[in-house]
Amino acid sequence: MRDALRAVRHAGAAVSAGEPLLELRPAAPEPPRLQRAEPLEGDAVRVHRVPGEPAVGIAAFLDGIQESRVIAHWAGGIPLVHGTVAAAVRRRQERTLVTWRPDGVRLERSLFVPRAAIGDAAWRALEAGCPVRDTLAADEGGPWHPQELTARALSAVQRRREAVETACAELWCAEGDGPLFVDGGIAAAGTAAHSARAIGVVKSHRTLYVDGDALPVVLGLAAGERTTAFTVTSPRRAPVASWYLRLREPEARDALWGLVRVEVAFEGATAERADLVSRWLLAERSPVSLPDPRWGAMAYGVRLTEEYLRAVTR
Amino acid sequence: MPIGRVVATERRPNTPHEFHFWTALDAPVGIGTIVRVEGPPTSDGRLATIYGVVVEGFSYTDLQTPLHDVIGADGDPAAALRAPTDRTEIRLYTANALRHIPDEPLQPVPMGTVHLATEDDIAVALRMDGYLREGQHTGIPIGVYRSGTMQAPIYLDADFLLGPEAAHLNISGVSGLATKTSAVEWLLSSIFAHFPAQKGTVAAVCFNVKGPDLCFLDQPSEKLDDADRALYEAAGVPAEPFQHVEYFAPWTARGHALATLRTNAALSHNVHPLSWGLREVLQYAEVLLNKDDVDAKADALIDFIRERVVNQEFSDPILPRAHTVRSFSDLEQWFRDVLRGMESRNAETWRTHHVATIRKVRNRLTNISTRCRGLVTDDGTSNDLPFGAFTDRAVYVIDVASSEEDAQDLIFARVVSQLREQLERRTLGVDHVVVFVDELNKYAPSDGPDTYVRQMLLDIAERGRYLGLVLFAAQQFRSQVHRRVVGNCGTALFGRMDMDELATPGYATLAPATRIKLSTLDKGQLMVRHPHFAQPVFVRFPRPAVLGGREGVERFPAEPEPSLEVSVTRTLRSLDPSVTLEWVKQATVAAPEDDVLRARNRTLQARPEDVKAYFRAQFRSRAAGESVDARPATLPLAGGGGDDPYGF
Repeated sequence: MRDALRAVRHAGAAVSAGEPLLELRPAAPEPPRLQRAEPLEGDAVRVHRVPGEPAVGIAAFLDGIQESRVIAHWAGGIPLVHGTVAAAVRRRQERTLVTWRPDGVRLERSLFVPRAAIGDAAWRALEAGCPVRDTLAADEGGPWHPQELTARALSAVQRRREAVETACAELWCAEGDGPLFVDGGIAAAGTAAHSARAIGVVKSHRTLYVDGDALPVVLGLAAGERTTAFTVTSPRRAPVASWYLRLREPEARDALWGLVRVEVAFEGATAERADLVSRWLLAERSPVSLPDPRWGAMAYGVRLTEEYLRAVTR
Repeated sequence: MPIGRVVATERRPNTPHEFHFWTALDAPVGIGTIVRVEGPPTSDGRLATIYGVVVEGFSYTDLQTPLHDVIGADGDPAAALRAPTDRTEIRLYTANALRHIPDEPLQPVPMGTVHLATEDDIAVALRMDGYLREGQHTGIPIGVYRSGTMQAPIYLDADFLLGPEAAHLNISGVSGLATKTSAVEWLLSSIFAHFPAQKGTVAAVCFNVKGPDLCFLDQPSEKLDDADRALYEAAGVPAEPFQHVEYFAPWTARGHALATLRTNAALSHNVHPLSWGLREVLQYAEVLLNKDDVDAKADALIDFIRERVVNQEFSDPILPRAHTVRSFSDLEQWFRDVLRGMESRNAETWRTHHVATIRKVRNRLTNISTRCRGLVTDDGTSNDLPFGAFTDRAVYVIDVASSEEDAQDLIFARVVSQLREQLERRTLGVDHVVVFVDELNKYAPSDGPDTYVRQMLLDIAERGRYLGLVLFAAQQFRSQVHRRVVGNCGTALFGRMDMDELATPGYATLAPATRIKLSTLDKGQLMVRHPHFAQPVFVRFPRPAVLGGREGVERFPAEPEPSLEVSVTRTLRSLDPSVTLEWVKQATVAAPEDDVLRARNRTLQARPEDVKAYFRAQFRSRAAGESVDARPATLPLAGGGGDDPYGF
């Protein structure tokens, strides 16, 4: 951050003071939606009680964080955003999480700047002082709404975060040992999306991969039950096998509370594998992740990894 | 390898005197551990090193409330054990700084790495490097500091333990946990082994105030194990009993035996009677007289008697004859004649002393021999400590455990006064004397009347170090001892303490964890305060190499008080092995018991070459028709008369 501030001062930008994190700014909400997915077990989405007792199977946890804030404005109100992204694989060793290996932790701090908006001379001045990343595509032209530039910077930071997460996931899948709990989906995680070692766990459900008939099945899952596995496909992502798993009873809460969507590589996805992975995930319900408000669906290992990343980035 | 890292937050900052650090869960750190902090380079390029001792420890997890753990385990404690991941836990310690290097400028402890102190570090941290230098070694091992497998001897500075820089030692601890007496026995062994020759000679005078505690200091312990021997070896102290011990005890009330539990015949060779006559007692009459007794008028009369009457011929118109007062019996006769003379003249005063004062002083003084029977003799004979002939590295034990309180006070006051006087004159025989007193709260209480003994202890505590008179005192409750006495003790040892005692203000400077550790200390552990140590440190010391009191009385049971003849036989046999019971019976036939005891005491005091002749001579003198009143005055002391040393 100090390098970036020095660089923007040197380049002649007006430094901002006390700007809030961009991640905390209200964003335009993505509309919730239902999207039908093709079942992998049978021809309809059904309820399956996960057989057997929860079992410890996860060997490591992967999570990433990002933090960005406007630290200066270029002439014309162009925001210069400092972003920090980090991802880490934390391996479980004797019931304690430890850093897997040095390159299992990725940390980047960069200035996210619209190059076309500030011009090449200013870009070079900034680049001389700290790492700089362009928030615009090469062929984009102005003029730009300042808030759009801020949103572009935030998107760029998010892409970098996904990139470092993917790098960590790929490294584990290539050289790690045992199943990796990935906080979030794995469909965009490069080669990890095809690895049997990566298990993505999605906690947010803006898109529910069911049609109207199957929706009551998902919402009605009891703790320890899963849905039929189905295929999630996307034009720019790898196809993955997925299913919903209820970790905790929602009781009087929102029907989506305690619900996760699991993603595993499409290759080798069977009902037995879905049951096995579900047992692993059910075992991760304890200890609880309180006081994190997402504790109903958040594994404690993910919370620890997040705390670790906060500690190393601040 | 570092074992921790210094941390500080705004809510819990570091200061020059206190810092915080965290460690791995399995780091061998606990309350009392000494650590070294390596900080960043100072402005002049030197590495800052800070030494500290752990005084507090905290452990916590990321759990915000215990309820979260209940929720996570579904209310089943066993389920919590099955959780695949343990909650993140921290071990956070607080340490008090022992030393900064460089010491200027004194700054808050920096965020450095924390290491377990090595043996060399310990010496630097506790500033022992200043007195452990080759050729100037004045270290006295007090115990061994242990951390993991490392153990380092901890040394006290003789200049600060036995003077002249500071002196005196106070030890506190609950009874029965082998702390106070054992620690003092160990420390005396250590002093005798390590007191530097260039500092002179040293001896110890120990008051045995209860049971058989100190009765077997010359007998080897049967309890030493390998761990004890390793501690002795680490400290360089021989695991042996004291080589030279002399015991002193008053006679019992009957006078047939000494009032001590060390009466077993196998150990009688170095047990001596302690008995004083009028001359010795009158010097310390104030000890036995309370404030009401010793008003100015009574004090004046006592001084008159001491200066003008005792041990000299005294004549006065009201007296029917000249008196030479040498014993309590003589004194009683003198008082009787004075009062008779006053009555016959119908006088209310004599030499400015009112008759009521004379009667009061007579009552108080003459009943001393009753109150201190066994210690004080009617006939003026005296058996004393070898003042003037004290021996280097010798222990002189005075057993007052069976004596009445008055007698204990008198013994203490006189012995300590004699030690002080002779040390002042450099005639004692040694340069330093350690006086060990247990139950200090009894002799120097923090409240209650101001007694002669308390004044004496205050005087030793405040001025003794210049003379080489050093007080080692022990008590269960330090808070109940006069503040100036404990305040003047340069070194303080603490064994296991009572929690109520630890709640008193005197312990407020200790961290809560340190106080709790003090209340749970094992046998053989001590917390040590010493002028060179910026903070108290915990050490271990071995079992004493001497036979404990309880084991001693089992191995050497005390013998029942013997008959008069047996008692006399044993006493005389210590001077002349040819003395037999039959001979004693013949020699004392028809003699009153008091006369026999008197003859025994006189013989013991005189230690003549011909014991039998001297002993018999005592009865011939009596048979020659001396009156009771004149008896002691006419009995010559050994070597006191002309050509005939035995008074024939």
